[in-house]
Formats: sequence, C-alpha cells, structure tokens
Amino acid sequence: MEKLRLKVQLAFAALFNIGLFQWHNICFPVLNCHSCPTSIFACPMGILGQFAGIGLIPLTVIGLMAIAGLTIGRFLCGWACPFGFVQELLYKIPYLKFNIPSWTRFIKYGVFAGLVVAVPIYLTPESSLYFCRLCPVGTIESAIPWAIINGTTNPGHLALRLAILFSIIILAMGHRRFFCKVLCPLGACLSVFNRFAVVFPERQETCSECGSCNRLCPMETTPHPKDFGVFVKKPEECISCLDCREKCPTHAVKLWG
Amino acid sequence: MRIRKIFWVIIFSLSVAGTIYGAFFREFLVYDNLEKFEKLKNVGITIKIPGYESTENKFEVQSQWFTEPEVVNAMTFEGISRYKDGKLTSNYPDLRMLKGRLPCPT
Repeated sequence: MEKLRLKVQLAFAALFNIGLFQWHNICFPVLNCHSCPTSIFACPMGILGQFAGIGLIPLTVIGLMAIAGLTIGRFLCGWACPFGFVQELLYKIPYLKFNIPSWTRFIKYGVFAGLVVAVPIYLTPESSLYFCRLCPVGTIESAIPWAIINGTTNPGHLALRLAILFSIIILAMGHRRFFCKVLCPLGACLSVFNRFAVVFPERQETCSECGSCNRLCPMETTPHPKDFGVFVKKPEECISCLDCREKCPTHAVKLWG
Repeated sequence: MRIRKIFWVIIFSLSVAGTIYGAFFREFLVYDNLEKFEKLKNVGITIKIPGYESTENKFEVQSQWFTEPEVVNAMTFEGISRYKDGKLTSNYPDLRMLKGRLPCPT
C-alpha cells in the first residue's frame, strides 16, 4: 500500500506542476504554490490570504475545501499533496529520529489564524510576512526558480525563506510528516472536517485490539475499541494513508466510515 | 450518530450552495489603475495593450465586473488590491491585463 501511495503521490505532484494547462481560477485543496511557473491550480491558502488582504471571503475556495473535507477528509493530504510526498521521502533518509509533544499539532491552527487570515487583514500591505511569503512549498516551487530566473531584490527575505525551508527539511527527516502535523494551515482547515468525513478508516468487530494500527500510524492517532472510527483520539489527524488497513492482522479496518 | 449525519448534511449543503454561488453568481466590480499607467508613462515606459491606443485618446477610469473565479485567477499574480477609497482596483495599469490572463508573472 505504501508503494502504491508513493506512486500516486508522485503522479499527483507531476500532474499539479507539469504545466500542460493552467486553471488558476480553481483551487485544488492541496498545498501547491500557484506562483510556480508550471503549476495548474491555485493554492487555497494563497488565495485565502490574498482575499483576506482585501477584505473578501472566497466562497468557492472555502466551499471546495469543505466539500473535500466532508467527503474524503484529509485523504488528499495522504495521497495527493506534493509536499506530503516530499516529506515521506525525506523521512526515509537515515537520520536521527525523534518524537514531538502532542500539543504541537495545535500550532497549525495558530498558523492558519495568524499567518493566513489575521496578518493579511491587519498588516498587509505594510507587512508582507504572511504565510505565502514564508511557505516552504512556495520557496521550493516559486521563490527559488524565480530567484534563479530573475534574481532577487530582497536577499534578506530570500535567506529567511531558505532558512525556514531547510529547518523544515531537517525536522521532516527526523519526524514523519512534521510539517503536516505541526505547521500546515491547509491540514488545519481539512482536519476540522475530518471527524465528519465519509471516507474514513473504520474499525469493525473483528478487531483484536492488538494496537498495530496505532503503532503504524504516521500521524500518531490512537485507536479506541468501542466507538465510531478507528481513531477516536486525534481523529482530525488521520490522513487515510491506509497503512493500518494493510497491516491489520484481522482485517478489521474498512475504509468507509 | 444521527446528529452527526444531520450536521454533515447541513454543512455539506451550505458548502455546495456557497461554491455554486461563488462560482457562477458572485461578482466584483474592479477598477482600472490608471494612476500606475500614468506614472509608467511619465518615466518613459510605454505599455502596449492591443487596441488601447487606437480606441482611446484620453485615459479614463474604467470598471468591469469580475466573477469570483476571475478574481481568484487575478489573485494568483497579485493583480487586485483595495484603493484608498475602498474600491477594488487593478494592480496593473489596465483591466485587460487581468481578465483571462495566464498567471506567469513575467
């Protein structure tokens, strides 16, 4: 399943950035920078920030994110997000592995409320340090290519972006999907709907409560035997990677919640 | 479980309704940014927009209705901002540089 998922992620990463066509009036709910010269869709976080900066609410963007969240939850985080794919590869690099405290997952809600919404509303255009200006995906897909093509007028800002990017790379090498768990504002938005998603791993009565799903989970969710869903504790973190479904010895995990 | 399903139906219906309204019915009035155009002309930079010179001798502020997807597209190259009076205004000299434009910022 993991190999299949990596292939699907690679296919999506290529599809989103292959530049065959440009539909920037549509936001696809994954973190993929629309300033990338060959990107296909607009980034929902970028558009939310831009709209917040001029005091508007993008109904299509919020609506599409809600529809995606209510139907497939964070499935796209696990199967389609290009930066999730990059982090999966980074974690395979032999490097010091470490755990992070559980409370750190709440930081991403602060990143969304602060850098995506509040800073553009209250500080733009005086402050350009809203999420897009610091986003590691934007640095990889936009800031670095454009700095190579056109040069940069603000080397200090580019250095800051590179420092953030390299910090996240180091942390993602040591902790699986560090950015998704701790910092991703899109993950924060989708996780709100995750508890209500239609496509969601669910445990059946054949479960022997061996806890293998818990030990395997890349998002560190915790199973519970007598309630809805495989993951009762931290269900908002589940990215439907289905590693638990594949490794379950009694085949007790089904996809449809 | 039942409350959860009712909640799901309500939120999902609102999301679909919001998306359809935003995609097909919501519009924004966006104004030209002729101030920027004049500034560029004054420093000797000529902007050639097909049809512009031939049809207009005097530049006047024009406005145009943009659908929400068109505004989303314009936002991908930071094409729209608020002017001092609160109007939505183009960051580019002419509205024709926004509508339907491909996002390459060069």
